[in-house]
Order: sequence, then C-alpha cells, then structure tokens
Amino acid sequence: MANTRTDLMQGTLELLILKTLSRGSMHGYGIAQRIHEAVDDVLKVEDGSLYPALYRMEERGWVSSEWGVSENNRRAKFYKLTRAGRKQLEGEQANWQRISQAVTRILQTA
Amino acid sequence: MRELFHRLDPEQTRREIDEELRFHIDLLTDEHFRRSMSFEDAREAAFVRFGNIEQITDECAQIKRRQHPLIRALKLFLVLVFLSGVVIRILAPEYHVTRVGDVLMAVGFLGRLWLYVRGLVPSSFISKSEESSPLRLRDEVQPSIAVYDLKKQTPVERVIFRK
Repeated sequence: MANTRTDLMQGTLELLILKTLSRGSMHGYGIAQRIHEAVDDVLKVEDGSLYPALYRMEERGWVSSEWGVSENNRRAKFYKLTRAGRKQLEGEQANWQRISQAVTRILQTA
Repeated sequence: MRELFHRLDPEQTRREIDEELRFHIDLLTDEHFRRSMSFEDAREAAFVRFGNIEQITDECAQIKRRQHPLIRALKLFLVLVFLSGVVIRILAPEYHVTRVGDVLMAVGFLGRLWLYVRGLVPSSFISKSEESSPLRLRDEVQPSIAVYDLKKQTPVERVIFRK
C-alpha cells in the first residue's frame, strides 16, 4: 500500500500567511478564512496553529500587529506585513517556484 | 512609558492572547451557527476546527516571553559581555588580563546557552517541535471528535478514529 503521509516543506504556512497579508492588514480569523478558501480542498490547517506562526513571524519582524476594531465592532488584533516581511515573501515565493519547477521537471522526465 | 509597563506585565500578555483567540473562536461559532447548527454544536465544531486552545495559548505566551523588553536587554547585554571579552583577549598585553577576557567570553556564552535551554531564544535545534509544520494534506487527517466543557471552554476528551 502506498504511503500517503506527506511532509510539507518547513515554512509553508508562513509563506501562505505572508501571501495572504500582502493583500492588506487582517486579523487572525480573516487570515484563516482566506487560507481555507484557497486550499481547503487539499490542505488541512487547524485555525489555532496560525497564531504561534504569526507570533513567530512578528518576532522575526516580518509582520507587525496592532489592536483595532473589527467589522463586527469588536476589539481585534490586526496583522500587517512589514518591509522585511515583503522582502521575505518575495524570496520565499521565488524559492518555492524554483523548487516546484525542478521537481515537476524531474517527475515529467523520469 | 505606559506601553513599556504594559509589556512588562505577563498577565496582561496572557489576557491579550486569550482575547485574541476567543475572538477567533466566537467568529467560528457564529459561522457554524449560521449553518443552522445549535449553539452548543456550533461551539463544539469551532473548538474542533481551532485545535488545542491551551497548548496554543502556552505556545504564544512562550514566544511573547522571548520578546519581553528585559529578555531582549539581557540578550544584548550578554552579546556585549562576550564581545568585550574577545576584545580584551586580543588587545590585552598581560596574561592575567587575558584571563579576564576568557571569563567574560565564558559568561556571555554560558548566559546565551542558558537562554536557549530556557526556551527564551528561538532555536531550530532545541525547539524542533515548535517549528514542525502544522499543515497536513487532507488525506492524512484522522477523523476525530473533541469533547469540550462548554462552560470552561477546555477540551475534556478527544476520540480519534483510526483507519
């Protein structure tokens, strides 16, 4: 029987978050919704796992956060990309595309 | 100044994390509730989709602790101690003065190591579990039911159906 377990590359969630935040500032729930809409049929993301990732990204200076008021008039913490985060996104995106193209090329020829 | 005191209070940090996570769970509950679930079922479904809230809160608090102004100051101080040890070691003309450099380098290095062990510095080789990918392909997800105490909002039991 084929082994269906697949280890996704480290940093994949960070890349998804960076890409999502490139559209503008968002709270955690908004980020989770966007990711679910885009990849829910393939990837399973536990909503809660976004927060440690966001906190780590804030620690690295890729995102900044501030408290604001949400669309339903509740206090919420909004995250936005910093300049370092935008640079990280560009690098990660280019890296991801290079790797996926290389793997696709091998799969097509082998 | 007020911001600094605000950041120095660990309880305040914990309260903010709780508030942020609770906001998310409340919106998830609303989302499920709008799909004509009862409030209890919607709340339970929200907790299942969110994951282990206590573990997530602890992880976030740990990361926040690393950003504490005092911890940052201590990290900077240890780097300066280490560097001054290096400078003394290179420039000191006498043997006994170079020993002072050695001591400073050791203090800087061991202090930094202590911070790693305490989890106060992000490290890829010590906190490996923290960095493990929370993403799974859909096929890998094991169907499970989480039983929650709705008053305390904590998980009571998690039943996993193995294939």
